[in-house]
Amino acid sequence: MTTVDDDAYVSELGPQAVAAEPAAAATLLHVANLRAGYGPVVVLHNVSLSVGEGEVVVVLGANGAGKTTTMRAISGTIPREGEIDMAGRSILKASPDAIVRAGIAQVPQGRGTFPELNVEDNLRIGAYTQRGGGIDDDIKRWFDTFPRLAERKTQKAGSLSGGEQQMLAIARALMSRPRLLLCDEPSQGLAPRITKELFAIIGELSRDQGIAVLLVEQNANLAMHIADRVYLLETGHIVASGDAETIAADDSIRKAYLGY
Amino acid sequence: MDRFLDAVFLGLSSGAIYALVALSLVVVFRASGHLNFAAGEMGTLSAFIAWAFYDAGVPLVIAALLGMAFGALLGGATEVAIVRPLEKKSPLAVFVALIALFLGINALTTGIWGAPPAEEIGNLFPNDPEDFWRIGGGVWRDRDIGALVVTLVITGLLFFLFQRTRFGLAMRGVASNAESARLVGVPTSRVLIGSWAIAGAIGAIAAILVAGNQGQVTPIIMVTIFVYGSAAATLGGLDSPGGAVIGGLLIGIIENLAAEFSKDWVGQEMKLGVALLVIFVVLLVKPSGLFGTAKVERV
Repeated sequence: MTTVDDDAYVSELGPQAVAAEPAAAATLLHVANLRAGYGPVVVLHNVSLSVGEGEVVVVLGANGAGKTTTMRAISGTIPREGEIDMAGRSILKASPDAIVRAGIAQVPQGRGTFPELNVEDNLRIGAYTQRGGGIDDDIKRWFDTFPRLAERKTQKAGSLSGGEQQMLAIARALMSRPRLLLCDEPSQGLAPRITKELFAIIGELSRDQGIAVLLVEQNANLAMHIADRVYLLETGHIVASGDAETIAADDSIRKAYLGY
Repeated sequence: MDRFLDAVFLGLSSGAIYALVALSLVVVFRASGHLNFAAGEMGTLSAFIAWAFYDAGVPLVIAALLGMAFGALLGGATEVAIVRPLEKKSPLAVFVALIALFLGINALTTGIWGAPPAEEIGNLFPNDPEDFWRIGGGVWRDRDIGALVVTLVITGLLFFLFQRTRFGLAMRGVASNAESARLVGVPTSRVLIGSWAIAGAIGAIAAILVAGNQGQVTPIIMVTIFVYGSAAATLGGLDSPGGAVIGGLLIGIIENLAAEFSKDWVGQEMKLGVALLVIFVVLLVKPSGLFGTAKVERV
């Protein structure tokens, strides 16, 4: 009797037992025992997570939990150890441009647009790894998706508003035709209304284009709406994971991350 | 009026050389954020290589192109062998190493070619006393027009590279936001090598033009001109190729007008001082230079 109760208790409060791996879709990104940091400072101690094809995965964490470091480690811009596989192939030792070619595009924190380049050139450079034709078609396609960018195509990116720059950063990432989009705190510095619009677009991209999304956020409320699965990151460790409803239903997690 | 035009023509041609040196500095600075203190000496060494081919009977134009190719190799090698390993340690280390490279190349060229006989080299353009055009009462020598044309052609090629090619887009991307350039898959190391190579070739043609005007290559041909060139780059804005050209031409014209119209006060000896004074005033008003981008530190 006691054992059964205990098991039931664990499966409710320890969501890692519920859905640690994507259930339906095949695994696209597989990260295990990831360690990374800056010089002697280790920020990520042991991060394991995975993203399935077309899945939206949200990593929640407070300031300093290691969210951006996780993104940088996956996109290959900082030294890292452990396992990172993309579509079954290790990208642990790959250079940032090889990782883009493997199908991963990052929307960096703080947008990271090219302020001195105009909007169209920002998109064009996003297709740097794409050889051959189709680039102009892609630009047109993302201008259709983001009409506000089309209106400003000859303006310098630095002159755009925060929300427009975030959209430009996403459109630029899409120009590399990724299978996995990494989004680093897209809500940062944006009004709630804009953030909502942005998450709606990200959710649509995933649904309509089949692009998988790995999104790290501090602002959990809006991100949870589009998430299939959620991981909680604390001081460089994954402390819990589960599908979005399970996480949202957990009292202690809800208090800590959703604030109600 | 004749004196005015003479001074302007003279200023445009010496300014064209400063502009080339400034362009060489700007191309490297935009890509890497480093000021290449060895740019002048790298050009001098390349001019000696051009001389070696010329002396061996290679036509001057070909010898000059070979000198530029050597300058490109030297630039790329400097990035790979000196700048890249040291950059990881500290920016100051790169600064010191580039000064050391300046001294090293100077010692090398003095050691090999410092003693007589002089390393005589021809001018890429007609250079006899009667080779000049009379324009509006002023005298403009063919070789001076030639230097200006070379500068404008190189500026045009750079503009085409930056604005119309994939590699140029990558170069602009790295200059604008190096971190994001890596994230979109720009191979930043190739952009850096390419930028240093282009800068090396531009520095080489600058030194070859100077040597042609002097009739010989000597180890010190670029020392003063490097000071002018870095002043031109600062005036125009260290991250602006167009600014480098305009800055170079402006300095050339200002110093020659000052020397021409204030022979007693300024004259040939003090003209650099006048140019530097102008730069000082401009930078007080606009610290990023005439056409430079004011960089705002993001937190």
